[in-house]
Amino acid sequence: MRSVRSDSVLAELEQRVLHHAQLMGRRLPEIRFFILEPLEFASLLEKDVYPTSPINIWEGKRMVHKKHAIETGLESSLFYEVVQTGDPSYAYLNDGNSPVTQASVMAHVVGHCEFSERNVLGDSNANRTEYVMHLVREVDRARRQMGAQDYLEYWNAVESVTPLISPNSQFNLRRATETEDALSAQVGSPAGESSEPEALTPVFDTLTQLLSGASEESSFESELRKRRRDETLNRRGYILKAPCQDVLDFLRHHAPASRAERTILDYKYVTRAPQDFVLRTQIMNEGWAMYWEKKIMLALFEERAVDGVIDYTRVFSNVCRPRPYFQRNPYHLGYHLWCHIEKLYREGKVSLEYREEVDREKKAHWREEREVDAIGAMGHLVDTVTDYEFLRRFLTPELAHELHLNRVDQRMAERMGVEDKDIVHRDDHYVWLDPGPVREEMLRFYTHFHRPRIYIIDSDFDDGGLLLYHREDGRPLRKDWIRPTLRNLHRIWKAPVLLLTQDQLFAVTGNQYKSEEVTPASFDEVVEKMRRGDKPYRAA
Amino acid sequence: MDVRISSDESEGVFNDFIQEQLDEILDDIINKGDVDRFDDRGSDVIIEVDDIVPPTFVYGDDSDGAGDGGEGPGREKGRLRFKLPFQMFMELLGERLKLPNLVKEGSGRIKEFSYAFKTFGQVGVILDKRRTFKRALRSSIGSGVYDPARDLYDVHVRRRDRRFHVPQRVEKPRYRAVCFYMGDISYSTYGERLELEKRLVNFIHQWLDFNYGPGHVEHRFFVHDVEAHEVSPTDFFTVGNAGGTRAAVVFDLVSQIAFNEYESASTNFYGFYFGDGEVFEDDAKKIVDVLRLDMKPAFNRIGVVEVKPSQFSYLNREIKREFDKDAVIRMGTLRQRSETVEVIKNLFGTRHA
Repeated sequence: MRSVRSDSVLAELEQRVLHHAQLMGRRLPEIRFFILEPLEFASLLEKDVYPTSPINIWEGKRMVHKKHAIETGLESSLFYEVVQTGDPSYAYLNDGNSPVTQASVMAHVVGHCEFSERNVLGDSNANRTEYVMHLVREVDRARRQMGAQDYLEYWNAVESVTPLISPNSQFNLRRATETEDALSAQVGSPAGESSEPEALTPVFDTLTQLLSGASEESSFESELRKRRRDETLNRRGYILKAPCQDVLDFLRHHAPASRAERTILDYKYVTRAPQDFVLRTQIMNEGWAMYWEKKIMLALFEERAVDGVIDYTRVFSNVCRPRPYFQRNPYHLGYHLWCHIEKLYREGKVSLEYREEVDREKKAHWREEREVDAIGAMGHLVDTVTDYEFLRRFLTPELAHELHLNRVDQRMAERMGVEDKDIVHRDDHYVWLDPGPVREEMLRFYTHFHRPRIYIIDSDFDDGGLLLYHREDGRPLRKDWIRPTLRNLHRIWKAPVLLLTQDQLFAVTGNQYKSEEVTPASFDEVVEKMRRGDKPYRAA
Repeated sequence: MDVRISSDESEGVFNDFIQEQLDEILDDIINKGDVDRFDDRGSDVIIEVDDIVPPTFVYGDDSDGAGDGGEGPGREKGRLRFKLPFQMFMELLGERLKLPNLVKEGSGRIKEFSYAFKTFGQVGVILDKRRTFKRALRSSIGSGVYDPARDLYDVHVRRRDRRFHVPQRVEKPRYRAVCFYMGDISYSTYGERLELEKRLVNFIHQWLDFNYGPGHVEHRFFVHDVEAHEVSPTDFFTVGNAGGTRAAVVFDLVSQIAFNEYESASTNFYGFYFGDGEVFEDDAKKIVDVLRLDMKPAFNRIGVVEVKPSQFSYLNREIKREFDKDAVIRMGTLRQRSETVEVIKNLFGTRHA
C-alpha cells in the first residue's frame, strides 16, 4: 500500500481530477488515494474496506478461497475501485490498472465521496477509517484480555447478529428506545422532524383528563403504567418503546458485556453499519458517481491529460449495460436516471405547471424558456432522498422500457415461465415484458432487502429474556439455523433468548433449547401494545 | 501511512482450523483403518470437512434442515473441499503411524536431474522484480533521483540493476525398487475379505511410491493355487479358483524372478503375501526354507498377512517359529478393518533384530 504521490503519473492525474471536480462545483471531503497490489486489494475487500482488521477465522476463510480462485483463474484479481467514504475518504487504486482506468476510478470516487457527504442519510463522518483502525487495536487488546477461546466464541456469536443491522430503519435504536439521556422520537414520524426539538406543552394531568373526555383506561391504570415505566428506566437505563430492528446496535448499548466484549460489538457495528446506507442508496450513489466520472473524464480527454478514450468507452459501456430489473445494475439504471432527470429539469418538466397541463400536444413539446439550474436541482435530490423515493418519483413505465429494464434473454424467459400475454415485444434474442409493474417490483426490495425482518420486542421477557420477533412475510425461517443463532445471541445477552416466528416460539435458556406452538401476533398488534407500554407478547 | 494490507494472520487461524480437521481425519484413518483416500495413485488427496458458516436467521424451508447446529461457527450442510498433495498426506500419515522412511539400499547410481531456480544473475529470462527493484532503489537513492525529503520519487532501473532467476542443476540419486504382491486365489477372496486385502495392497503401493518416488517402483502381482502365475493388478483381485493350494510355489517364483530379472545389488526388493493361512505343514516348511535361504538375504522387507484367518490357519505360526521379531520378515493378521493400521505398523514399523 503506497500513496498515490509515489507515482508521478498518478499524482498528476489526481491533481487534474480534483481540479475538474472543483471547477464543476463538487463538494468534496479530503480524499486520500492509495495504490494497492492485487492481493492487497482482495484483502482490503475482506476487511470491509479498512486497511486493518482483527484476526478472525471468517476473513481467513474467505481470503484462502479468494486466493485459490485468483490462482486458478476462477476469479479476476482486477478490482477497479474501492472507496471508504468519510472525512477524510480513503480511495484505493489497483496497481495493475492502466492510467486511463486509474483516472476513471479517481473520477468515480469523486462522485461517491460527494454523495456520502451530502445524502440525507448522513453517511459520512469524521475520521471513520482512523476510528476503525483504533478499534482494531482495541479489539486486539480485547483478544489478549479474553483469551483466544473466549474471544473466538464471542466473535463468532457476534457474526450471527451482524446481518441484523438497520441504522436507517424507522425502527432503529434511537427511535425504538427511550433512555435517561434522550427520549425516543415517535416511531413513524419522518426522520427530519424527529431531530427537531419539540416545543414543550404545559400539561395539567387532571384538567387534560377532564377535557379529553372519557378515557379507555382509568387514571389509576395510567398512573401505574407511568410508575412502572419510571422504575424500568431507573433500573435498566432504557425503555423499549417500539420494536427495534437495529439488533446489534441495541446489544452493543444494552447487553451486559465486559469492556473487551463491548469493543468487539463496537467494531462489528461500526464497520458494517455503512452497508445499510449502501443498500438504501446504491442506485442513486452509483449513478451519481458514473455521471460525474464521465463528465470529468471528458474534461481530461479534452485537455489530453490522459489517453485511451476508446478503452474508456468500452469499459464504460460494459459497466453501464442494461440488465433486467430483478438483476439490478445500479450503474446502468442510476446513470441513465440521472441523465434523464437532468433533461427533465432542463426542459422544465419537473414543475407543477407541467404536471397540471392537460393539453397532450403542449405537454409533448414542453420547453421552458427560463434558466434552470439542473445540476443544483439534482444536488438537492441527493440531499433529500434515497433510492426508494428516487425510483418512485422518476422511474416511469416508459422509461423502464426505454432503459430495457423489462428486457429478458429468451432462454431466461423460458426458464422463468413467462407467458405470451406478459410480453410486449420480442426479437431474435430478447423479449420485453410489460414495463407497468417494474417500478413496484423494484420498490418492494426496499421493504425487506431480501432478508428476514427481525426485531427486538421485549428485553425483559419472562424475567430478563430477550424476545425477538420475525415479521411475517409469507416465507418461513430456516429452522435448523434458528437454534445455533439463538445460542449465539444467548452468548451475548447472557440470559434467555427467544424468537417468535409465525406460530412458533423458539427459546434458548442456558443449555436448553425448546420450541412450542403459540398464538401468532401481528406486527401491528405488537407495535400498538409497545406504544401503550404493555408487554408486546405474553407466553400462554 | 505505511501499511501492508494482508490477511495472513486470519488465514493462519483458518489454516489452523483446517489442520485440526485434518488431524481428526488422520485419527479417523488410524482408528478405522480407512487408509484408501486416493482417487488415482500419486494424485492429490481430496479432503472434505464440514463447512463453517456463521449461523444467522435466513429464509429456507424445513426440508433443507439436516444441518447440525452446534455452537460458535454453525455447520451448514455444505462441505469444504480441499486438495492435499499426495506427498504431504503420506508424510502426515507416516508421522502419525510412526513409520520410519524405508531404508534404500543400492548405490543409487542412476541420477535424476532437475533444475531449481536458486541463484540470481545479471542475465536471464525470468526477472526477479523484488531484487531488481531493491537494487534500483538503492542506486536511485545513491544518485539522488529518489529523495522523498525533496519530493523526488523517481526510481531508475538500469541494466546492471536487473537480477534474473538462474536455474541451477540439482542431482538426486534415484533408487530402484520392485514390489511383489502374492495372493492365494484358492480361498474365498470376495466381499469383506477382498476389501480388506485391497485396502492393504493400496496402502503398501502408496507407501513405496512415496518413499522411492512415483515411477521408481515396479509393482508386480502374482497369484497361486497349486501353481503360481503373474497377473495384472486387476486380475489380482478378481481371479479365483476353488481347489487345493500350495503357497510355496509363489514364493519360489518370486525369488527366481527377483534374482533373474533384476540386479540384486542395486534393487530394493519387497514382497507381500496375502492368504487365509490355511496351508499344509510341508508347504509351510518349504516357504520357511525359501524365505530363509533365498529371499531374506536379498529382500528389504517381506510381509506375510493372513486375511480373516480361521482356526486352521497355520502359515504364520510356522513362520513365527523361525522369524519371530525379525527385521526383514514380518507377519500380520487382518481380521477386521480396524486392524489395518496395526498390520501396517507390523509390516513397516521399526524393529531391531
